[in-house]
Amino acid sequence: MAFAQSHPAVAIHNAKIVTVSGSVINKGTVVVRNGLIDAVGENVAVPPDAMLVEGEGLTVYPGLIDSLSNWGQAGGASAAAAAGRGGRGTTAAAPAAAAAVTAAPARGPEDRPQTTSWLKIADEVSPTGRGVETARSAGFTSAVTFPTRGIFGGQGAVIDLISGEKGAEMIVASPTGQYIAIGRTGGGGGGGMGGGFPSSLMGYIAYVRQIYLDAEHYKLVKDAYAANPNGMTRPEYDRALEGVLESKRILLPANRLVEIDRMIHLAADLKQPYILYGGREAYRPEAAALLKKANIALLVSMRWPEKNRDADPDDVDSVRTLETRDKAASAPAMLQKAGVKFALYSDGLEASRDLKAAVKKAIDAGLSREDALRALTLSPAEIFGVADRMGSIEKGKIGNLVVTRGDIFENSTKVEMVFVDGRKYVPAPETPAGGRGAATDDPGRNQAEVNQAGVKQ
Amino acid sequence: MVLSAETIVIRNADVYPVTGAAMMGVTVILQDGKIAEIGAKLLPPKGARIIEGKGLRVYPGMIDSGTELGLSEVSSTRETVDTGEIGEFMPQLRALSAVNPESEHFGVVRVNGITSVMTYPASGGGGGRGGGGSQHISGQAALIHTDGWTWEDMAVDRSAAMHLIFPSLGGRGGRGGGMAPDAILDMIPGAAGAAGFTAAKRTYDAQVAKIVAFFDEARQYQKERAANAPGFKRDLKLEAMIPVLEGKVPLAVSASRASVIHDAIAFAEKQKVKIVILQPRDIAKVGAELKAKNIPVILGRVLALPDTEDSPYDEAFTQPAEAYKAGVKFAFGTFNNEFVRNLPYQAATAVGFGLPYDEALKAVTINAAQIWGHGNEIGSVEKGKVADLIVTTGDPLEITTQVKYLFIKGKEVPLVNKQTRLYEKYMSRQ
Repeated sequence: MAFAQSHPAVAIHNAKIVTVSGSVINKGTVVVRNGLIDAVGENVAVPPDAMLVEGEGLTVYPGLIDSLSNWGQAGGASAAAAAGRGGRGTTAAAPAAAAAVTAAPARGPEDRPQTTSWLKIADEVSPTGRGVETARSAGFTSAVTFPTRGIFGGQGAVIDLISGEKGAEMIVASPTGQYIAIGRTGGGGGGGMGGGFPSSLMGYIAYVRQIYLDAEHYKLVKDAYAANPNGMTRPEYDRALEGVLESKRILLPANRLVEIDRMIHLAADLKQPYILYGGREAYRPEAAALLKKANIALLVSMRWPEKNRDADPDDVDSVRTLETRDKAASAPAMLQKAGVKFALYSDGLEASRDLKAAVKKAIDAGLSREDALRALTLSPAEIFGVADRMGSIEKGKIGNLVVTRGDIFENSTKVEMVFVDGRKYVPAPETPAGGRGAATDDPGRNQAEVNQAGVKQ
Repeated sequence: MVLSAETIVIRNADVYPVTGAAMMGVTVILQDGKIAEIGAKLLPPKGARIIEGKGLRVYPGMIDSGTELGLSEVSSTRETVDTGEIGEFMPQLRALSAVNPESEHFGVVRVNGITSVMTYPASGGGGGRGGGGSQHISGQAALIHTDGWTWEDMAVDRSAAMHLIFPSLGGRGGRGGGMAPDAILDMIPGAAGAAGFTAAKRTYDAQVAKIVAFFDEARQYQKERAANAPGFKRDLKLEAMIPVLEGKVPLAVSASRASVIHDAIAFAEKQKVKIVILQPRDIAKVGAELKAKNIPVILGRVLALPDTEDSPYDEAFTQPAEAYKAGVKFAFGTFNNEFVRNLPYQAATAVGFGLPYDEALKAVTINAAQIWGHGNEIGSVEKGKVADLIVTTGDPLEITTQVKYLFIKGKEVPLVNKQTRLYEKYMSRQ
């Protein structure tokens, strides 16, 4: 249900509480007041003014966080496009938007092709945006949502998935970083087909490097001018570089082992704090070792590669494809074992059962339930620097909670209620199986259809 | 036919007729453009030119079954490419009428012992390949000699085959148009069967239906023509299909993957037309069917990359051996104007990968002649056949072998070409 029930205080009494940050409280009470967690523990008294939720048989978890998302945005392509050249499933791009960014084919870095680094998604999110309600029904209370079009997509925000009046109410933190895609995410198609610069991998990399060199110089000149403008030609305002300078961290795409290696090297040149996203081949021990050595966090797409349902019957999948399909879901377990910080992200999955199934697959591939939960709560909060306000059930943190009957990742488990900013939501009944096709984008699905699907939400 | 007036005697040579056992130290007499005699101790006719053949070998001139020779000079220069016309069904086009006898390519291929080629019109109006969108029938392929004053002079068969480009399924073309590795597809937005297989199959079925409809139309025309009803109007396009419908001219069908070849065979059976499959892949999958229906094939590039990332490295190299094992009749085509001269080495590579040597030699000589309906005239060294011969220093499939003399219709053609002319020019520079 979209309508939140507001109470000054809510107390969930006698429930099992999985705090994530601390040990599990087998029978305890959580009090949420004014949108914040007021108290949590075994022997917490229920305030007399609080609405009481009898928690017998219920489990309380911190609200889940989607660590790379397009939820809350109006329509738009899935963040899958984001993962860039990761695989056939994720090459669906957003050509329309990218084309709008670069109307004329770009000839060089000066034209700032496919760059909207100044764009802040915080200005664009809407409580009626994509995925808010369905994701919340699946237990997600927050998302780190990014504009994902072009090379420099723009600046993301941590949002709470509330149904309210204004998008502004949703913002928890902004900006949270710059989204960078490398690969043919738009423009005029690559391969020297007249799409303008850049259209090759080396072009993309050269362009990203140039932007950071430009930004460094820009800052230097700007600071000098600010200190003493007299007698100095004023530097020209460049919104692309302003956007880059505003970003605290960058997100770089890396699905294959070679890409992980490549991005780690590129990031060293850029001298920026960074996070990698994608992780399709992170199941390889070499990949985990690289990440561990560089001490870099990875956002792992939960859209595990699947067989194309409309494949040519004569086409035999390559061993590499089969291996990736078989092992991709074991990446979280591998990263956990190697001690790499990681979080999971929805990558276009929205329906509750698809999200559950995706997490379940990682669990079946060796990830412990506790680690899976952490990868969807405290870890993303830490990665994006908001662990001081969300990601676990602790006093003073935002009142984002999921209350379930049974283990949260079990398919049979029902999400009884969700609290976002202390507001209670009762999930809508699940749509019957097969009712939605949006869980996985068809590789060939064109933009118009994607937009349409977005409108339907 | 313009025949050589000269009588030539090749003496004491080792003759490899291809169709029979080698004959050592025999004499071959070329007269009136034909092979007049082969035998030991033959007396040279009066006034004959005598070529001492001791230590040399005589083979039939080789035949390339897949070229655009004479139609395209420099493929990247539009003005020199005349391989095709726009239009979905263009059976009235004759490649022969556009052959340029002065093409530099002929001289190059002759040096390697190639005396005849099949030259095909391909799709793409004026601008060469791929310029004209989808085309199903590109016109009549000609079997031509690689020497002659005019195209009429060069013609062995002005209409040796009708070229049908069978629709491809899933965007996979012939060899070389094979499926790209996953890594490449990942980088191309919309690739990897962008619209999915269902959509690709739908397009394919619609195109096949179009071809069937065209054949039905041609058959109707054939009937009306036979009836000679009043008001009957001649139509060159449909007229050109009659020899095909009558089974006099085979359809040369470009079809690469097994399922498409299977469909092409079914189509030919239903239409009761003769077919030859060009550039098939997956011979192992369709070999039995081809053999059962007695359908010959023209094999494309042997030195090619495997189709998928997990295919064995020698996938393309072993196709000829697979064809042989399946009992399929085959010849070779280079399907690349720049490399027609490599025809013998294409066959040689196949020998390295399991094809018996004799079969390789046949595939570049007599098999091709038979497939294109001229087995009684060319393709072997036999008495009474057209004198298309090469005299070599050794095995013609071997790279180190030199062709010393080449005869087309009994006339010696000097083994000079642009490269030898340039060589002479710069060697004599002071």
